[in-house]
Amino acid sequence: MTSLLVLLPVSLVLLGLAVATLAWATRSGQFEDLDAASVDPLGDDRRPAASSAEEARDGD
Amino acid sequence: MNAMLKADAGAAKSMPLVETEEHRRHGGSHSPAPRDAACYHCGQPLPADATPIDGRQVCCAGCAAAAAWIEAAGLDDYYRLRTDAGNRIEALDADLSAWDRPELQAGHVRDADDGTREATVALEGLRCAACAWLVDRALSAQPGVRAVSVNAVTGRLHLRWDPARTRLSELVGRLAALGYRAHLAQGAAREAGRRRARNAALLRLGFAALVAMQAMMFSEALYFDAGGDMSVATRDVFRWLAFALTTPVVFFSGWPLLAGMARELRLRAPGMDTLAGGAILVAYVASLVETLRGGPEVWYDAAAMFVLFLTVARLLEDFARQRAGAQLDLLAKAQPVLACRERDGVREWVPSAALAPDDIVVVPAETAVPADAVLLDEPARLEEALLTGESTPVAKQVGDPVLAGSVCRMQALRLRVTAAGADTRLSELADRVAAAQAQRPPLAQLADRVARHFAIVLLVVAAVAAIAWSFVEPARALPIALAILVAACPCALSLATPAVLSSVTSALVRGGVLVLGPQALARLARVDTVVFDKTGTLTTARASLAGVRCTGAITPERALAVAAGLERDSGHPLAAAFAGLESIPARDVRCVPGQGVEGTVDGATWRLGHARFAGLADDDTALWLAREGVPMARLAIRHEPRPGAVALVEALGHAGLSVMVLSGDNEDAVSATCLELGIANWRARQGPADKLAAVRDRQAAGYTVLAVGDGSTDAPLLAGADVSLALAGGLPLAHRAADLLLLGDDIRRIPGMLALARAARRTIHQNLAWACAYNLAAVGAAAVGALPPVWAAAGMVASSLLVTGNALRLGRARP
Repeated sequence: MTSLLVLLPVSLVLLGLAVATLAWATRSGQFEDLDAASVDPLGDDRRPAASSAEEARDGD
Repeated sequence: MNAMLKADAGAAKSMPLVETEEHRRHGGSHSPAPRDAACYHCGQPLPADATPIDGRQVCCAGCAAAAAWIEAAGLDDYYRLRTDAGNRIEALDADLSAWDRPELQAGHVRDADDGTREATVALEGLRCAACAWLVDRALSAQPGVRAVSVNAVTGRLHLRWDPARTRLSELVGRLAALGYRAHLAQGAAREAGRRRARNAALLRLGFAALVAMQAMMFSEALYFDAGGDMSVATRDVFRWLAFALTTPVVFFSGWPLLAGMARELRLRAPGMDTLAGGAILVAYVASLVETLRGGPEVWYDAAAMFVLFLTVARLLEDFARQRAGAQLDLLAKAQPVLACRERDGVREWVPSAALAPDDIVVVPAETAVPADAVLLDEPARLEEALLTGESTPVAKQVGDPVLAGSVCRMQALRLRVTAAGADTRLSELADRVAAAQAQRPPLAQLADRVARHFAIVLLVVAAVAAIAWSFVEPARALPIALAILVAACPCALSLATPAVLSSVTSALVRGGVLVLGPQALARLARVDTVVFDKTGTLTTARASLAGVRCTGAITPERALAVAAGLERDSGHPLAAAFAGLESIPARDVRCVPGQGVEGTVDGATWRLGHARFAGLADDDTALWLAREGVPMARLAIRHEPRPGAVALVEALGHAGLSVMVLSGDNEDAVSATCLELGIANWRARQGPADKLAAVRDRQAAGYTVLAVGDGSTDAPLLAGADVSLALAGGLPLAHRAADLLLLGDDIRRIPGMLALARAARRTIHQNLAWACAYNLAAVGAAAVGALPPVWAAAGMVASSLLVTGNALRLGRARP
């Protein structure tokens, strides 16, 4: 039963971490945009180059 | 909004009732249009003179620029990811500098602590997740943009930017160039409130999920100790730990439930929240008492899990409702926030709401009209897509009424306001939709009443059971009362109807059908007769030539050539019938409204129009051509059936509905149309009173009638039928009588709409039957002690989820 003395606090600390993460995620808007994320991994892994974006903007 | 509606219509057109081969091949979603026939960017049909730009088939310079930018920015994955065609890009040169005006930003833009500014903007034209992705990437690439988040469901864009490096107008311009029109979200405070409420609900749910699970774990340890081997000290440690975890779950996550219970008790109307809150508090307090006095059993887990399950059920219901509501918010967006008022020769920008009747306003081109008004100075062509679903501009003469929310693309307007703010037709329409949404339909009200009585009865049953068991086996009295309270919670019962209705309403809105009447869906499910008022509902306004008969003095070819010459530049509605024919040029062409056209051809005066105009007695079945007052030719005109009208009638027949046409037109026109469409039951030359009488006849014979009209002469008919559907192109009056409003005028959605209403009724019945059966069985099991509280809670939620899931199934359908 002495293992409980370790395991109980560990479970509580983990729980605390999980709750803190959740609170952070909610406050920092992680749940705001649930749509773009679903197609994100389908796209290729290139970041839009700032320079080409600039050019295009000047162009139109 | 215009683009949105137009595109909606387009999307619906590319989605025929009968799944085509191509549709299936593309999985019904990807690559919305074949490349050779439609614009690469927006998917709309290419104009005849379109030339490829940069190797892409595009319909206009705007779409070309958008496609080029998207590729240059490395975002062309958008075309692969999207499930719906893009928006047609219109007019890139619109002046967006108004977005930087302080008076417009006031109340919408907030200053953040670190010198950045943030705003929430309502975006029009977000179709699918790929749109959200594109907007996110496109704006993130702009210098000075700190944070972007897009919600494709609610159509909201949240932006944070550095005012030193970019301006709001620039970002809005970027969006406009991609085909997304931005609007200031009305009521920024309400918007922020909604975001906060949503975040709070999510946090409550997440907290309950994490902590209740842990509380369950600790309680589980106690269950394993069935033999009582655990030392009292260890047992109490677990109990106090469970207590420590359950307390915040009950009072933080469960707060809305407890508040609801307090409200119900204050109003002396105990209902669902009382039952749920009561069960939670009984479990919690009884466990605390048992913990303090070292009793044999505690029920912390039941309290915590019950809170979790109820929170899940509530959130699901909220999401379903929000989804339906977000689509309707679009209506409220179209009225601009600022208007330019002209007073004593001085122009100033004032909030649109501050306008009063008889104010003079100046509306720049490309800007929505801020209030209902009459046109001054010069004629103009206005788009009223938002109000009527009709995307082609409507010509207005000086003195004609102009509706708030309509847009003039070509020129600036000067208007005299007739109604502003909440009195405009746009606001009225938005209000009606909102009211219809807020109104609990009778069926749901009934379920609520049943649930309330149910709650009171169950509280009594629980008390009686507790007392009875306290004589038989006192230790089990409390858990059994608890189990009854939990099992009795009529969550599923009260969710059954609203979940289905909001799910179906949102499916209908997506398909372009607004539900306005509270009874509409229930009655729609029972409809067995569809009455089309006037052939114009089944036919387009576009005329075509059906035949020519000449008197001896002229050849048919020449008659047609003269007619084509007269019509060519007349702007007459029938001109389309003669387009593309060989024509003889006519001079001095004059259009006589409601009569016909007159002009000089080869030195003689010709008239084309109604028989009387051409110098004949009555014949309202055809156009007549006359030379110097002598009739020369009879030109039979017919109106083309709307695309899909044949399929519509066929689909209605398959669904076992009888179809009837009541038309004010002449016999020839009606019989020709009905023959082509396969409608046997028609009546011609029907006045409004005749139409109403015919519908009453049908109703008296026991039929439930759906009336479909465009609303010009049929307001009594629409009001008299059991359910009415107005094509949104109709007149304002019709909307007041209609229960349903079809945006975009695509009548092919009617069978789908009926099928959806029937499915809704079926689902409501299933849900109610299930919820009642489950609750009775569970309460019975709990009363005899066969159902422990935790399992009762799990069953309650499973039942609610089943009911909600059954309802959400309908949300995927598309009329």
